[in-house]
Amino acid sequence: MTNAILTGLMLGGMYALIAMGLTLQYGVARIMNLSYGEFLIAAAFASHWLFTGWAVSPFVGLVLVVPLAFVLNFAIYKLLLTPLVRRAPNRDALEVDSILATFGLTFVIQGSMLALFGGAYYSYSFLAFPVQFLGETVAANRLAALGITILLGLALYLALTRTRAGTAVRAVAVDPFAAQLVAINVPQASALTFALGGALVAAAGVLVSTFLTFSASSGVVFTMKALIVVVMGGVGNMLGCLVAGLALGLSEALVASYVDPGLTLAVNFALFLAVLLVKPAGLFGRATR
Amino acid sequence: MLEVANLSLTYGLHRALDGVALNVGRGEIVTILGANGAGKTSLLKAIAGVVRTLPGKQVRLGGRDISALAAHDIVENGLALVPEGRGIFGDLTVKENLLLGANPKRARDGEAARREQVLELFPRLRERAAQIARTMSGGEQQMLAIGRALMSNPDILLLDEPSLGLSPAMVQELFATLRRVREAGVGLLLVEQNAQESLRIADRGYVLENGIIVGHGTADQLKSDPAVQRAYLGGAPAATPSS
Ligand SMILES: Nc1ncnc2c1ncn2[C@@H]1O[C@H](COP(=O)(O)OP(=O)(O)OP(=O)(O)O)[C@@H](O)[C@H]1O
Ligand SMILES: [Mg+2]
Repeated sequence: MTNAILTGLMLGGMYALIAMGLTLQYGVARIMNLSYGEFLIAAAFASHWLFTGWAVSPFVGLVLVVPLAFVLNFAIYKLLLTPLVRRAPNRDALEVDSILATFGLTFVIQGSMLALFGGAYYSYSFLAFPVQFLGETVAANRLAALGITILLGLALYLALTRTRAGTAVRAVAVDPFAAQLVAINVPQASALTFALGGALVAAAGVLVSTFLTFSASSGVVFTMKALIVVVMGGVGNMLGCLVAGLALGLSEALVASYVDPGLTLAVNFALFLAVLLVKPAGLFGRATR
Repeated sequence: MLEVANLSLTYGLHRALDGVALNVGRGEIVTILGANGAGKTSLLKAIAGVVRTLPGKQVRLGGRDISALAAHDIVENGLALVPEGRGIFGDLTVKENLLLGANPKRARDGEAARREQVLELFPRLRERAAQIARTMSGGEQQMLAIGRALMSNPDILLLDEPSLGLSPAMVQELFATLRRVREAGVGLLLVEQNAQESLRIADRGYVLENGIIVGHGTADQLKSDPAVQRAYLGGAPAATPSS
């Protein structure tokens, strides 16, 4: 039991981190990024390449990959998405446009990765030894990933709620019209927040690569999980991400160890439907908006 | 302080503003009179830079040309708008709303002292610091909207129907507050449905009809203008009772 719960928490923490980036991109920049999971896999490949090719530890890899992802996502927003933002008569229209554009982007990124790495599954052995934790035996790499996930999530939460800049980011999500009245440069804030979301998913990609096998076409699974968590938690809500992510991870782990590992996806959707039937705007979302 | 000239604005084919010119001095309260749909809200929005206007407008603030600036830069230059419907951040707390009010760089120096002034003007906001803004009463939200605008350290404050939804006693309190704001040297451009009240505290006023300024004068001149009385003050002048 403890082991299943521990596995669930580690998985759920990762889901929460992955979803936080998406909820920022969607809640603040109003970009529904369907290529989100591809960025995660790209970062996983980057970490793999750094580790196997240059013997760079994924911890150091984080410091290299995350800033690079930030810059890259900023550029993507400026070059690819800004024309959509300019063209969209309102935010709802932007949502639809962004779904189409990022769906296209999915194929570009996935295609490039397939061309570079082929369709095989990749993994590498990093901190792959067992350690004792709360009386259970767990893989050190998973435990390390969990620790970094908690640090990143906490840092993000504090930055968003305790600083003026973070509060400004939330203000754009709440009301972009009013945001400009308090001297917030909304297009700039949107671009930076989109880039921050990209940096977060890159961090998740590096961490995931230390304990999961992945292939060039694994991205869609992560996009889906992130979407489920974001919608379940309530768009734009960090706490919602945490709770929904943990719920998802726990339910997967419990079902996998007590019922049937083949049922995890079914459980994902059952949980998702149950939440939406009871609270259509998500656990922490408000119906009116 | 604020000088506006040749300001025009269309929504599709509808011309909402046509060559509007006006000015507001330091520590002056100027009101805009106009019927529903005359273009008052459009005028304030156009000055604040939140709607697209026709080319050729000139907006100067303290001698600086702010015509081409985006809305967020206009706030940085010292012009704050309290929009129709308040425009506060409903999901954020009162404290966070005020924190964001001081987001412009010009507002960072002396932020603590300014917050103290604002909380003195609106003591209710101090009690409600941790409350989610959207759960406050309409009057409290209006105070927050004005308080947040004041936190930006404005030279000019644009107010779009700040008394909307307030009780008569609250309106008196609000107008007393606006006088105190004016005494601090801030220029106010005020749009009000209640022309009687707004002319009482205003120094000057402009009359806006179908997007065109058709008259202006001191508050006293406007109060005694028969056309203004007929259109905005409900008929006969108050000074000459009808029996
Ligand atoms: N976004 C818009 N699109 C189309 N027409 C608009 C828009 N905003 C305003 N209008 C029109 O422009 C005219 C002026 O509107 P505005 O809101 O400026 O009037 P107002 O003087 O503030 O009226 P009120 O006293 O009712 O608030 C109206 O005829 C209105 O219907
Ligand atoms: Mg109006």
